[in-house]
Amino acid sequence: MAWYRRFWNVLRPGRMQSDLQRELSFHVAERAEELQDGGMSEEEAVRTARRQFGNYTAQVERTRDMDIYGWLESFVRNLRHAARGLGKTPAFTATVVLTLALGIGANSAVFSAIYAVLLRPLPFPESDQLVKLAQSHPKIPQPFVAPVRLEEWNRLNNTFQAITGHYTEDASELSGELPEKLKLALVAPRFLQVWGIAPALGRDFSPQEERFGGPNAVLISDRLWRRRFGGNPDAVGKTLRIGRLAYPIIGVMPASFLFPDRDVDLWSPSPMDAPYAQSRESTWFTAIGRLKPGVTLAQARANLASVQANLGREYPKTDAMIGAMIEPLKEATVGGVRRSLLILFGSVSLLLLIACTNIAALLLSRAAAREHEISVRFSLGASRASVVAQLLTEVLVVSLAGAALGLMVAAGASRVFRSLAKDLPRIEEIGLDWRIVLYALACAIAATLLCGIFPAIRGSRRNLAGSLAQAGRWQVSRYNRVQFALVGVQVALAVTLLAGAGLLLRSFQELGRVSPGFDPEHVLTFHISSSWGETADQKAARQRVDRILDGLRSVPGIESAANALSLPGVPAQYQIELKTTEGRAESEPKMLAQGRWVTPAYFATIRIPVVAGELCRDESNTNTTMVNRSFANAYLAGSAAIGRHLVQPANAYLPPGEIRGIVGDARETGLDREPPPTVYWCAGSNQPGTYFLVRTHGEPRSMAETIRRKIHELEPRRSVYDLTPLRDHISDAYAENRLRTILLTFFAMTAVSLACVGVHGTLSYLVNLRQREVALRLALGAVRTQVVRQFLAQGLRVSVLGCMAGVVLAVALGRLLSGMLYGVSTSDTATLGGVVAIVLAVSAFASLLPAMRAARLEPMQLLREE
Amino acid sequence: MGAKKNDILQGTLALLVLKTLSSGRRMHGYAITAHIQSVSDQLLRVEEGSLYPALHRMEQDGWVRAEWGKTEKNREARFYSLTAKGRKQLMQEEESWARLTEGVARVIRYA
Repeated sequence: MAWYRRFWNVLRPGRMQSDLQRELSFHVAERAEELQDGGMSEEEAVRTARRQFGNYTAQVERTRDMDIYGWLESFVRNLRHAARGLGKTPAFTATVVLTLALGIGANSAVFSAIYAVLLRPLPFPESDQLVKLAQSHPKIPQPFVAPVRLEEWNRLNNTFQAITGHYTEDASELSGELPEKLKLALVAPRFLQVWGIAPALGRDFSPQEERFGGPNAVLISDRLWRRRFGGNPDAVGKTLRIGRLAYPIIGVMPASFLFPDRDVDLWSPSPMDAPYAQSRESTWFTAIGRLKPGVTLAQARANLASVQANLGREYPKTDAMIGAMIEPLKEATVGGVRRSLLILFGSVSLLLLIACTNIAALLLSRAAAREHEISVRFSLGASRASVVAQLLTEVLVVSLAGAALGLMVAAGASRVFRSLAKDLPRIEEIGLDWRIVLYALACAIAATLLCGIFPAIRGSRRNLAGSLAQAGRWQVSRYNRVQFALVGVQVALAVTLLAGAGLLLRSFQELGRVSPGFDPEHVLTFHISSSWGETADQKAARQRVDRILDGLRSVPGIESAANALSLPGVPAQYQIELKTTEGRAESEPKMLAQGRWVTPAYFATIRIPVVAGELCRDESNTNTTMVNRSFANAYLAGSAAIGRHLVQPANAYLPPGEIRGIVGDARETGLDREPPPTVYWCAGSNQPGTYFLVRTHGEPRSMAETIRRKIHELEPRRSVYDLTPLRDHISDAYAENRLRTILLTFFAMTAVSLACVGVHGTLSYLVNLRQREVALRLALGAVRTQVVRQFLAQGLRVSVLGCMAGVVLAVALGRLLSGMLYGVSTSDTATLGGVVAIVLAVSAFASLLPAMRAARLEPMQLLREE
Repeated sequence: MGAKKNDILQGTLALLVLKTLSSGRRMHGYAITAHIQSVSDQLLRVEEGSLYPALHRMEQDGWVRAEWGKTEKNREARFYSLTAKGRKQLMQEEESWARLTEGVARVIRYA
């Protein structure tokens, strides 16, 4: 029967029935008339026709049975039965619903994150055409592209619709009462064209505005528009004062447009024909391109490679070694968190599996307890299918209740997600929508089948049910072997999860124990707004930074003040190749090191000791450097390094720097990495985004207001922002790590508790089933401790087997965590041993309770009941 | 039901109904039973209890079409007629019936 017809019938069941009744009564009427013609009285004719027709109501029902309506009716009946049955055992129902709510909720929450971050396309039209481009160089990592080259790539390729680029700086907006720090994205031409997004209000940049010396123009974010202009469309045409210049607002971007990142409030053109943008060597654009429709990544790579090869021939000095790299934009955005998210998803799926196993075991006990009821139903003529259907309906009811509750859990969980991992890409896109609801429903149905089908089939075995109806009271059912196997599986999965969590926790602990080589306590960091334009006058910029630092040092409560381009302990790499002007033997290894730009006071501020030589000085005429011990030992035979001159071949503008001293090794590139060889250029940085660091006597946060006022006094046109203790920056850098650890630990704890509930429940059931046997034995003189030992052993045997399986599984799956661990191996014996000990201890406790109960049975009372 | 009259062998009811409708006339359920009874010389008797479920199933399978109409006596009745699909089905059923009877006849003759 076609499904739509059934569906139609469901929608109009009344119509279907009355049609049928009309048809059948017509038949009876015709028959009666015929009989009457044959000489019967009217009354008798009708009665005979009726009788001949057979059971009238049965006809109606048999005909109707063909459609879904009848099926639905029995479904509703099953639902009613299920609700009644579940209502009678509230403890069972609550356990199952809560277990499922937790399992489905955690699963849906992680799925909502996976869906938003990994699966959903980026929020741009035809977003799979968007790619990120970068220059590549065999020696020097270059994430950026030079403006000239960007324009050439855009002009000479034939696989891209357009290529654009952007970079950001922090700007002080001065039209309000106080300077406000805003993040400004400077964008190459074709920016909006590449994204495929039009301003929600106003217009795109005009060609004049994209030219050097052309009129200023700025697009503002939806957020700024609402905050500053109250969402008034009049904002377009108003003027913002950024630094010394006035920028007319030409439009407002849609709220969903969060690129280059979610903090950007202003977009303004960066002229590609500016004199300072003509160098082939200075790179600053992050380049984004949009492929032509149907062009594959490989074609684009080949095309751009040949474009760049031609440029290499034209400008051999600068371009010969440079290549072009292309990566899908989505991959560039979310690729880094894929593994973390998938591991979390794997663990919540294990959790759901444990929950299902647990429920399956509970249902088996329940089915056993209901053997009598089921055998009665069989003897009254129920078909096996209908018994299975009824048992499954019961599970479906609890699953759906669990899923509904789980969705609430998921809604709460996505909030936790946001607060724990602020820096997760695309986090603002995570939320509950109908897809997540569908997913939870699918989980519920899968859970129903997973937990329900096996107990239902077992429970509805006709012969078993029949025989047990007579003999059941004295027989230990064969169910419990299966149940124990299920409990063993739960223990094994719980051990696996706990081992994963244990490894992450241990590595977190190791990380905390690391001595970083610097002191991150009592250090406050902040930015002071400045623009790239100001870097043109190096001397003035330098004087400004010195003035600020001197001013800060004069503030009581501040021990020292320094500035640095990057923060210590926050993972960042800036690998450079160095040479000494004194020359080295060709056979010696290449000098590769991390380059850092700091003022001399940096070392005192974060307490990196000078171990040899003297502290460098920031002098405007000569360039001085410090190196760390690893660098000196690796490349320059220790203290012989002092007095030599370092140059950076890739940076021709940088004069040779004399090594003045050697400092201790510090884990500047991240607490989880060994200190790499490092060169410190002793020159303050005056780029936008430079960090200022001050060491305070007391709690660093308490100095924030003082510092703000001091800077306002020194530099009234600049804003101070992002005042954060160094400690917080470092822990934020490990936020993803922390999220992973917290969540996995939470899941593992839940898994262990579920497994214990499983052990306890199954053993309790067994005790119930065997209480007469135990009573008999006690009556015949068995010692109570023996009884305890027997049940305890039974519980522990399952746990031990489960633990063994779990350890094997944990070691096998441990590979997935490699690279996320610090200081522990994936098969760390201490961790695995600890996990096994915990699980065994808890499961022993869970087994002890029912075992004690068995031993406390009163034999005479029980036996008298027989 | 009376033992004198042959109840219709299971599975052949569809064949009989389809064949009855193959004349092209629209017929209601009562007419179909009457027709089968009279053509078979009262040998076959359609049990009403089977007829209507069968008719509905055939309608839902698309073998017959049903619509409400008026009889000569101006009574409301549901009239059935054969569809193209039903005609094809009839051919198949006739063929398998012929095979069945031939097989049964051979067994009776030679076994």
